[in-house]
Amino acid sequence: MTWLQKNRVLVPIDFSEESFAALQPAREFVQEPSQLYVLHILSHLHPAEPGVVWNTIDDETRKKHALEALHERLKDSEYQGVHLAILVGDPSSKIIDYAQEINADLIVIPSHGRTGLSRFFLGSVAERVIRFAHCPVVVLRK
Amino acid sequence: MRQYSLLRVLRKSPIFSVVLLLVVSGTALAAEETTADNGFLAGIDAVFSTLVDALSQVLFFSVAGLPFIVLWLIVGAVFFTLRMNFINFRGFGHAISVVQGHYDNPSETGEVTHFQALSAALSATVGLGNIAGVAIAIQLGGPGAMFWMTIAGLLGMSSKFVECTLGQKYRLVSPDGTVSGGPMRYLSRGLGELGLRPFGRLLAGLFAVLCIGGSFGGGNMFQANQSYAAIAGVVPLFEGRSWLYGLILGAMVALVIIGGIRRIGGVAEKLVPAMCLIYVLAALWIILVNLPQVPAAFGTIVREAFVPQAVTGGFIGVLVQGFRRASFSNEAGVGSAAIAHSAARTEEPVREGIVALLEPFIDTVVICNMTALVVVITGVYTDQTDSGVQLTSTAFASVITWFPIILSLAVFLFAFSTMISWSYYGERCWAYLFGDRSTLIYKVIFVVFVFIGSVVNLGAVLDFSDMMILAMAFPNILGCYLLSGKVVVDLESYMKRLNTGQMPVYR
Repeated sequence: MTWLQKNRVLVPIDFSEESFAALQPAREFVQEPSQLYVLHILSHLHPAEPGVVWNTIDDETRKKHALEALHERLKDSEYQGVHLAILVGDPSSKIIDYAQEINADLIVIPSHGRTGLSRFFLGSVAERVIRFAHCPVVVLRK
Repeated sequence: MRQYSLLRVLRKSPIFSVVLLLVVSGTALAAEETTADNGFLAGIDAVFSTLVDALSQVLFFSVAGLPFIVLWLIVGAVFFTLRMNFINFRGFGHAISVVQGHYDNPSETGEVTHFQALSAALSATVGLGNIAGVAIAIQLGGPGAMFWMTIAGLLGMSSKFVECTLGQKYRLVSPDGTVSGGPMRYLSRGLGELGLRPFGRLLAGLFAVLCIGGSFGGGNMFQANQSYAAIAGVVPLFEGRSWLYGLILGAMVALVIIGGIRRIGGVAEKLVPAMCLIYVLAALWIILVNLPQVPAAFGTIVREAFVPQAVTGGFIGVLVQGFRRASFSNEAGVGSAAIAHSAARTEEPVREGIVALLEPFIDTVVICNMTALVVVITGVYTDQTDSGVQLTSTAFASVITWFPIILSLAVFLFAFSTMISWSYYGERCWAYLFGDRSTLIYKVIFVVFVFIGSVVNLGAVLDFSDMMILAMAFPNILGCYLLSGKVVVDLESYMKRLNTGQMPVYR
């Protein structure tokens, strides 16, 4: 086992093509697909969102839908056994916390480089993950 | 690590930061107000008024005596009515049966039923525009303004149909099953389909900026300002203490939109329909008591619509007031409602558009006219001492002496639910421009504006509110013109299937 071989690799997915493209390089760090942990973060809904007002959607139904969508997307045999998780909150904090929780030894994250004004307000998710993660982080560039 | 945890504490309890901010500034103001009239509050007011004056030079330049944006709304509404072959009248019956749930298929994509989507949109539209806005229209434009408001409401049904159909057609469905639609989406995606991608994105961006402004103006400050005016008259605690009212209202809004305490918002949303009913019944009662005066009142309204007496600007003046206040109240052509309507569970964009055309009808043709009739019949509009919501209150009190208490409660609820709904519209636009992660910044600014709206005088607030909300109609109607061909095709196909019995009925 070299230092490039990892036990648990976390890949945050935001359903963009760039983020799904991070799975391939991430896969190369581990021996089994079951060592990959895919995480999707949902943002909090506004209390006046029609579905929230009428109690037709809540975080549970949203997690269920998003999980189904992830399953659908990752149904290829090469991703059999990948761990999937959905959390609600601020992406960077959730990624950092989750990495710690599963004791990840690597995070593979794409950098969109399209953050513009939101980068001005908060910095990019990748930036914050690099600064505060407990483990090494690989940032993929296009 | 330490910096990280501090960040997280602040992030997890933004509500405390906001409340703290409000309490600190409020305490300072309290000391100020007791000592001098022209202290900090007057300072805010002066700065704000200057800003508004400068903006109105740009947004309200006049074309043949009509402010450009009002002409724009009238032409748009007339165009859509003709282009859609009077959908505002021929779609009415079908709209009622869709709202009753006959066509609701629970397995279709979306968040809520047609009825629920309509009600969510109505909670943003039924607000102080219906109570205070109408009084303002009659004060400035005379009783004839009511006639033009009704016409604007009827024509506005077509604008609303077009924008809400487009909202559904170009909505985005996220992997988590939530829906995101509205002018930002149809301007960027719809015009993109027509090969006008950069132009569409420009209009979408412009719309989003103006909608954020509108959410601070008509969706927030106007509501805060006029609800204070109504409450101050009946609750002695708030008399002359607008800062205290601003603090309490700001804290309540913050609890809901930042603290995520949905129960407060939920209570308000559920009480609004009941309050609407009480309001309409009280208005009907006043009309009934004054029944002999009704024919004369109608006569005055129609006569003054064409030959106004003592109104600044004459015929044009009364026309402008009517259309301006109607658009402000029912938001037809403004585009905001399309954000809420796109959440409806349906695969047929046209169906939700048809439901949406009920909105200007309920808001303007029914509720605004109730207010207008009460104000005209009781004759209080000739009195120059009251303004805005106080005028409506005086009108009701002339028949039901204790009604101002109920009215101020209704006003408070309408204002509160409108603010919460508009903060949603503004937040969606903010997210469109800056992403989901920074919406907290928007919410904090929104809460600060609740406070400013409570303490600034009506004139400045009204102008700012009008400008922002009406200006949204510029990118929105322009995009709707360009996309109206697609709506016509969809509408014809829908009507054909409906009339040949190809639409499955579920209930």
